[in-house]
Amino acid sequence: MRLLVPLPLSLRVPMIVAALMVLMGIVASQLVLAALNRSQVRQLTDLAEIEFSALTTALGPYVQRDDIWEMFDILDRATLRVGGFRPIMATLIDARGRVIVSSQPEVHPIGTDGVDLIARAILLDDIRYDTASDRISLRNTVVWQGRPVGQLVIDFDVREFAAERRRTGWTLLLGNAAAILVLSVAGYALMRRVLAPIRRLTREMAQPGGAPQPIPEAMVPARDPELAQLFHTYNSLIRAVQARTSAERRLAERERYVSLGRLAGGLAHEINNPLGGLLNTVDTIRTYADRPDVVRQGVELLDRGLKHLRDVSRTTLDLHRGTDGRGPGEQGLSRQDFDDLHLLIRPETDRKAQTLDWQVASDLSGCDRLPAGPVRQIVLNLLLNAAAISGPCGDLGVRVVRDRGMLSLSVWDSGPGFPDAMKPRLLSDDPVEPGEGLGLRLVRDLVKSLGGSIELGLSPEGRNEVRVSLPVDEDRRA
Amino acid sequence: MERWIRVSRRWVLAAAAGLAAASRAPRADTRRALRFGLTPVFLDNDWQLLDRLGQHFREATGRDVEYFQRRTYKEVVALLLLGEIDAAWLCGYPLLQHPGRLEAVAIPVWRGQPLYRAYLIVPHDRAASEFADLRGDIHAYSDPDSNSGHLVTVARLLELGVRPEQFFARSFFTFGHRNVVRAVARRLAQSGSVDGYVYDVLSVTEPDLVARTRVLWRSGWHGFPPVVATAEAAGTAAVEAIVAALSGISATAAGRDVLAMLQLDGFAAPAPGSFDSIAALMRLVAERG
Repeated sequence: MRLLVPLPLSLRVPMIVAALMVLMGIVASQLVLAALNRSQVRQLTDLAEIEFSALTTALGPYVQRDDIWEMFDILDRATLRVGGFRPIMATLIDARGRVIVSSQPEVHPIGTDGVDLIARAILLDDIRYDTASDRISLRNTVVWQGRPVGQLVIDFDVREFAAERRRTGWTLLLGNAAAILVLSVAGYALMRRVLAPIRRLTREMAQPGGAPQPIPEAMVPARDPELAQLFHTYNSLIRAVQARTSAERRLAERERYVSLGRLAGGLAHEINNPLGGLLNTVDTIRTYADRPDVVRQGVELLDRGLKHLRDVSRTTLDLHRGTDGRGPGEQGLSRQDFDDLHLLIRPETDRKAQTLDWQVASDLSGCDRLPAGPVRQIVLNLLLNAAAISGPCGDLGVRVVRDRGMLSLSVWDSGPGFPDAMKPRLLSDDPVEPGEGLGLRLVRDLVKSLGGSIELGLSPEGRNEVRVSLPVDEDRRA
Repeated sequence: MERWIRVSRRWVLAAAAGLAAASRAPRADTRRALRFGLTPVFLDNDWQLLDRLGQHFREATGRDVEYFQRRTYKEVVALLLLGEIDAAWLCGYPLLQHPGRLEAVAIPVWRGQPLYRAYLIVPHDRAASEFADLRGDIHAYSDPDSNSGHLVTVARLLELGVRPEQFFARSFFTFGHRNVVRAVARRLAQSGSVDGYVYDVLSVTEPDLVARTRVLWRSGWHGFPPVVATAEAAGTAAVEAIVAALSGISATAAGRDVLAMLQLDGFAAPAPGSFDSIAALMRLVAERG
């Protein structure tokens, strides 16, 4: 049976010790009581033999003379004795089963049938002790001068034996209970002491609100080599984790720059294209400076071109500003962010002659609770990945939907789908080997930090797609 | 009563003369301890009583007393007849069994007279109301030679026209009046023959024991169990000393203690015919038994 609430080791070990003590106490008590019982039977046999011998010797001559009074007096005096083990009734019965005399003549009058008395009595040579009874009935033949003259039946009071067994039982019970209590408390205290370094280790490992830290060298129990080894191993582990986290962070950062670098070509192209047009416009204005309509048209064209360049540069700067969650003053997500992403990715898709399907829901109310930076980074990385997978002249697209407290971001492409080797980067926390696909792990980390989830599936058009769900409502994000 | 007082005065004079004679007896005889026989039939082994009686004998006679206690009257009578003891406290019945050999030298006075009765007792809750109801009983006698503890009951049954061995299913002897009371109280016996004096004394000293019995029948008055000596020893210094000590028992504190314990008034000289009623019973038994 498993306990509903798992018990701590410091409690479990004393409880196991207590249970073993109880078991041992029961076994030991049984052995002691059995030995006591055997001893009592021996003692009872010895005392009964003495009693029978004494009474037989005393009764013999009077039985021969049929001296009722003396026989009665002897039996009566024997039963009037005080003491732990004493006869409480003695009856002499003749060979025909008739009572010669009894110490309780009111119960067994002279001459009445004594066969039942003989029948229920145990032979002295074959004592079986019924511990449940307060009295035991024994019988033996009275032999006088070599001749059997009757059966003597004596009922002995064995309450003292029962009381002794009860006393012994209680002593064992109380003694064992005290020993179990003392050992349990001592065991608990000892285990608390022994496990104190482990508890310290556990506390360090479960630092609330922060990453586990190595345990200072001063706190390592130097006197206990095993625990010291455990602490050192723990410290090594923490340092290794810290180093790996740091490396991952650096790699992610590099990936960000890599993605920016990949964008750079597209951006250069995006800037270069209008730049040529703008320079041509400048030449046109310069050539036709005396024609106000041409100048006006040229200025309009310059204005649009420069604004486009401004938008491109601003978006690039925004993307570069960081993706570590929503800091103070950071912008909430808006439809404009998706327009910016469209602007940023389009040069890349154009360059590859890819078809980009861009579907962003008009209603994104409440989505401003999400930080714009991480979401943009998520979508951009997925788009770059889709662009890379679908190849030249491929199709890819984005679908952004506000759905029951969630913001659903779907990025699909016409590529062959995620290679199995890449899936763990997006779907698990398994360590990432340096190489390609670090952007996907960055996507996973960002989605996790926003409390969302990622799944792979097929779009309504049957294309491979990555679906990211981000909680928008407060209760869903909690 | 008047008669016994008159006798008593005469007996006191005789006792005084005996004391004077004893003082003239040979020196060796006066140093010997007095030998006094007892049975548990009448006196239980009450060491305090015997100690106080011995003390009285020493004070009254200047001699120690040596008790000879036997279980039965027969044994004590044998000691008497053999001259092993000087005197013994017996019963009228064994006295009369040896006419000419034994004679009463002193008789206790109880409630103003040297007389007592026999009682027939049964358990206190038994429904019997008359002698005939005891037919088929297990009966407890005191001593075969006891008047109240045997002879009276046997004679009464013979008077009623039945033989004791046929009347009672079974009988046994307890060799002690107190034992008869115990036997009936414990229901070892369904009825018992007991000395009325002993029974009445026990009703004071052991009321719990006696309360478990009740008296079904009381006999006529008989001569109280006397102190007996052989005819030959009757005039000896030892016997005279015993008689003198008993006659003056109330003169010492120890003697008065003895009387208080025995609930007796004193000791007197036996009047002639004191045991005639017992002799009549003996004749009845002899004739019909």
